[in-house]
Amino acid sequence: MSPFAKVALAGALAALPVAALAHHGWSSYVEDEPITLRGPLKDVVWGNPHGTAKMNWRGGEWDVILAPVSRMTARGLSLEEINNRQRIRLTGYVRRDGTPEMRVERIMIGDKTVELR
Amino acid sequence: MEGLLLAFNGWLDAIGLVDWARGSATVYPIANVLHVLGAIMLVGGIGVVDLRVIGLWRRLPLVPLSEALTPVAVAGLVLQALSGVILFAADGEALANSATFTAKLALLAIALGNAALFRWHWRGATGRDFYAPPPLARWSAMFSLSLWVAIATVGRLIAYY
Repeated sequence: MSPFAKVALAGALAALPVAALAHHGWSSYVEDEPITLRGPLKDVVWGNPHGTAKMNWRGGEWDVILAPVSRMTARGLSLEEINNRQRIRLTGYVRRDGTPEMRVERIMIGDKTVELR
Repeated sequence: MEGLLLAFNGWLDAIGLVDWARGSATVYPIANVLHVLGAIMLVGGIGVVDLRVIGLWRRLPLVPLSEALTPVAVAGLVLQALSGVILFAADGEALANSATFTAKLALLAIALGNAALFRWHWRGATGRDFYAPPPLARWSAMFSLSLWVAIATVGRLIAYY
């Protein structure tokens, strides 16, 4: 392997851990301890790569991570059901590192359950 | 299919891979990146050979090109299988219930079958006469390229449906 190729390969491998820092996929959340909350969502953003909202919980304001717009729509959720401070229930997981952020597994509105995973 | 995938997920859980894939903050992102790199090697590698068989770049000798790039594609496929199992382990129940994921696996089975058929059927064609492959080979190559591109597309869309 030429010296240039060695440097290029080393650089590529060194870049991999950076991906771990930027990522907030499911592995960043504590999955063995699902939490279920009741209440209204605030500041709902119906956007990509995934929807977001805010929710008051445990004395603080938490970032709530939803799903991509195409998935929320395909699974039967609509913006109008959650953006008017409707009282909903959600099951999710909190972030491992203590950041006040949770990722939602499912939302329950009345009798309806929408799986977001 | 869902039952089979759930059973596979159960086995992965029993050997500890589910906890490892889910519990580590770095394993899943790395598996994700490797899955992208594997797709590049696989689709890029076999894609160039397919395009040559179809008839692009006729000045390039087909057999040496295939001999150089097919191992890259196979290495990519192996990387996909290994990283794919980790990705699956982290989210097996949701994936087993995903029609998009099931469709990807079905396309994969067809693509592998097509590749095996092509390799077996043209196993004797190492000579000069394979510079200009016959229509059957070209259709097979077009089918192959379409399938691999479709697999990559459907795979990426799993998160979106």
